[in-house]
Amino acid sequence: MGNLVDPADITPRQVANKSDKKALLDAIRMTLSVQSSAVRRNTQTFNRNRYAATALLPDYDELKDRARLIKEQAIANSPELLRQLEAAVRANGGHFYLAKTATDADRYIRDVLLRHEAKLVVKGKSITSEEIKLNHALEAAGITVAETDLAEFILQVADEQPSHIIAPALHYSRERITALFKRKFTTDLPLDTGEELTVFAREKLRQQFIAADAGISGANLIAADSGSLMLVESEGNIRMTMTLPPLHIALAGIEKVVPSRTDFGTFIELLPRSGTGQPLTSYVSILHPPLKAPSFAAPGKTAKPREFHLVLIDNGRSRMREDPILHEALYCIRCSACLNSCANFEAVGGHAFGGETYSGGIGGSWEAGTGTLMNARFSELCTGCSRCVTQCPVRIDIPWLNENLRQRMNALQPESGVKSAFGAVTGSAPEDRIAPLQKQFFANYHVMAKEATRFSSLSNAVTGLPFVRGLMENFVGLDRRRKLPPFPSKTWEQLHRDQPGDRARSTNPGLPHVLMFADVFTNYGSPERGMAAMRMLRAAGVNVELSPSLPDGRAALSQGMIATASQQANGLAKTLLPYLEKGTVICVLEPSVLAMFRSDYEHLLDATTWEKFARASFLDPLQLVLSVAKERGTDLSQIFRAGKSPHGTLVFYHSHCQQRSCDAAWQTIEILRSCGFDVVTSSVECCGMAGSFGYKRDYYELSMAVGEDLFAQVRAAEQEGGQRTLVASGTSCHEQLWAGMGREVLHPVEVLVSTLD
Amino acid sequence: MQPAMAQSSLVEEFTAAAIQAVATVQVIDRSPANLCAAILQAVGDASRILYAPPQELPASLFSEFAADPRVRADATPEEVVNTAAGVTEAFAAVASTGSVCIDVSFERTGIVSLMAPLQVAVVAAENIVPQPRDLFRADVLDGRGLKRDFVFVTGPSATADMGPLVRGVHGPHKLHIIVLR
Ligand code: SF4
Repeated sequence: MGNLVDPADITPRQVANKSDKKALLDAIRMTLSVQSSAVRRNTQTFNRNRYAATALLPDYDELKDRARLIKEQAIANSPELLRQLEAAVRANGGHFYLAKTATDADRYIRDVLLRHEAKLVVKGKSITSEEIKLNHALEAAGITVAETDLAEFILQVADEQPSHIIAPALHYSRERITALFKRKFTTDLPLDTGEELTVFAREKLRQQFIAADAGISGANLIAADSGSLMLVESEGNIRMTMTLPPLHIALAGIEKVVPSRTDFGTFIELLPRSGTGQPLTSYVSILHPPLKAPSFAAPGKTAKPREFHLVLIDNGRSRMREDPILHEALYCIRCSACLNSCANFEAVGGHAFGGETYSGGIGGSWEAGTGTLMNARFSELCTGCSRCVTQCPVRIDIPWLNENLRQRMNALQPESGVKSAFGAVTGSAPEDRIAPLQKQFFANYHVMAKEATRFSSLSNAVTGLPFVRGLMENFVGLDRRRKLPPFPSKTWEQLHRDQPGDRARSTNPGLPHVLMFADVFTNYGSPERGMAAMRMLRAAGVNVELSPSLPDGRAALSQGMIATASQQANGLAKTLLPYLEKGTVICVLEPSVLAMFRSDYEHLLDATTWEKFARASFLDPLQLVLSVAKERGTDLSQIFRAGKSPHGTLVFYHSHCQQRSCDAAWQTIEILRSCGFDVVTSSVECCGMAGSFGYKRDYYELSMAVGEDLFAQVRAAEQEGGQRTLVASGTSCHEQLWAGMGREVLHPVEVLVSTLD
Repeated sequence: MQPAMAQSSLVEEFTAAAIQAVATVQVIDRSPANLCAAILQAVGDASRILYAPPQELPASLFSEFAADPRVRADATPEEVVNTAAGVTEAFAAVASTGSVCIDVSFERTGIVSLMAPLQVAVVAAENIVPQPRDLFRADVLDGRGLKRDFVFVTGPSATADMGPLVRGVHGPHKLHIIVLR
């Protein structure tokens, strides 16, 4: 890779714009080396707290539905709401300005301040002001801007962009803040604790609050009916910004407008819990300025009458609203749940997984929507694991947005004969043959795997050759440090066909009958595991039939090759439809494929076919076993006796990210425990492999850094009570655990089957 | 449930949640003498006390407290920024979160509740509502939450921006709540 720069010498600003791929790779190196531990600690704290706080909301799901509906309608009626809002603000005695562009907004705010002869402005946290680079515009006009949120204060001192949408300096550890302040300020204070640093910053900012001529705030939500704002904070600086100076300017994107103040009732329950994980943050202000209370006159000055300006910016949002995909991003309430529940984000934060303003899974859509498409390149770090989807209070399908961004970025690639020939041979849809070779390779891996399996001993010998791995690394970016799972000599389909009596046994009348879907990952990668799954189902009293093995589109979708994914999905749907129409339950061993059938197919199939998928039952095999056992009162511990397992009863289980998102993981844990296994579970969001992500040369280090959290949990569990059998439900999790722990990893079905005679 | 019972369980829930949010809570029987004693106990030996007279509760309830020589109902700007404690009423409170709701458009209530290191908020038990969302209903507390400029205050100001969690940033470092039965 020939990178000579020490990652510690790369500054965040240098790599803020990631339209150049090198900036993204440098940013990953820099954040992994300098910021990772602080980012991890802070985001994982938010993440844990959010799970705990939302669990306490008895109507969490209904609130999310309501929030989604309010936002859908608000964005649909945006022009009308803006008219209402303007009238309401004026009726309150405020001023209203709708800025088309960032420059318009900057100019308006600057002119208001100059008219007031404002020299010093205190500012509350506003990510929107970062978007429009407001501070630069004001400073150029000779106005001093004091960032008063402590995180923004740190960033202002350090000259860095935010790394997180609600805690913009969370990449700073206490030690690094101390070092920064000592470098930038002359002080004899030790500044060695959080308290000392806070007191130091507070004293500086207190003076500014008192002397300020104006305050600039953001707004979390704005109500069109009354011109009310909702502002969420913990430090009290936003309250001071809005209360002390006579002039208050609030700045927000037009997407923040909801119809009515009554709507705040829904968001106030969701926003703080989804963000920091607090029931409420210290201060949630609800106001329709200008305030009636007198402004604060600094000692020796006279109080001036209050004046209020609401500045709303469009800056690309109207275009997003018309965009069939990106309009969904406008529903975002900027809570940060999607950042904190993202394993990749937890490892690097927003200076790698983010652009000049916005970060995380949703950040790509915002950077693309308010800037240019290539600014969203960092959205490559979204692996599509879907953990954020279940956590988003407005139910945005964030991976789908990123897959579309990827498709659009693929389309900007230059055409080449090699790519189109490769695409034609491997089965990329014509419109996807422009995608980089690497993407086409991973999207059509099943084609290669099929051929390789036919000549497995030769393939394994060849792919084991260092020079071949070198070629693969250069040609398709497959990292040579990754062990490739050996190609089996027989596929799952073949094993099933060959096993004497296997098919006869699968049609015992009177028992429930299911179709086992032969996903390509298991078929070409771990056929024995597929066989074990079928054996487990039969042992639990279920008749099982095996489908033909067909590509499901997951691999293509994750490369942004949506046309190819859709082609594969539609082909597969033809095979499955007769079963769906009969009401046959379909078992899916690979969770990433289960998630395709359960949700991603909504985007890939026509509406009538999707209807049939949406109504059908797609189950993880253990989910099926548990529900059948409960229905029939079967005691599973009489069938699968942990004591008989040659692997012992101590198990460490890592469920798959998409399996958890499909609510199909707890059943495995319940079965293993009820059969007598002692199960320790992981609590990481994702293993870091995430399909093909961790195989890519560019992302190998990041993938392993994410995996380290999982490996550490295994080591911790084993330090307590000795070695445990490693068990995981996803194909790529197996590879990752194997890479990290250097030993065999089993699937739960293999563990259960090992207890049978 | 009987209203009185419902109210007392809300007071309990409120108290527990407010303590969870690192506020301190005192529940007292409503009288000028009790209130005065409770506030003075909370402010300790503060040499000056900022006071914003109430909008909802009868001013007479605060009369004994307001007579204390340390109390400033019309503090100068210097005093506002240099006083240890600020006392205001809260027109509502929220049981599930332990929050008090302070009207920031009514005279100096907002500033008094914000500038001093110790914030004391006085709320009537009957104005405790179950959840934050209740402040956005027309049929709760006569829809006051839909009309006013106010802030939900939950515990003292806090930050994790400097690394560890620190309480007491720009806003108050301590929050003491007095609930009037
Ligand atoms: S996309 Fe959803 S989860 Fe992410 S910040 Fe926006 S609202 Fe929160």
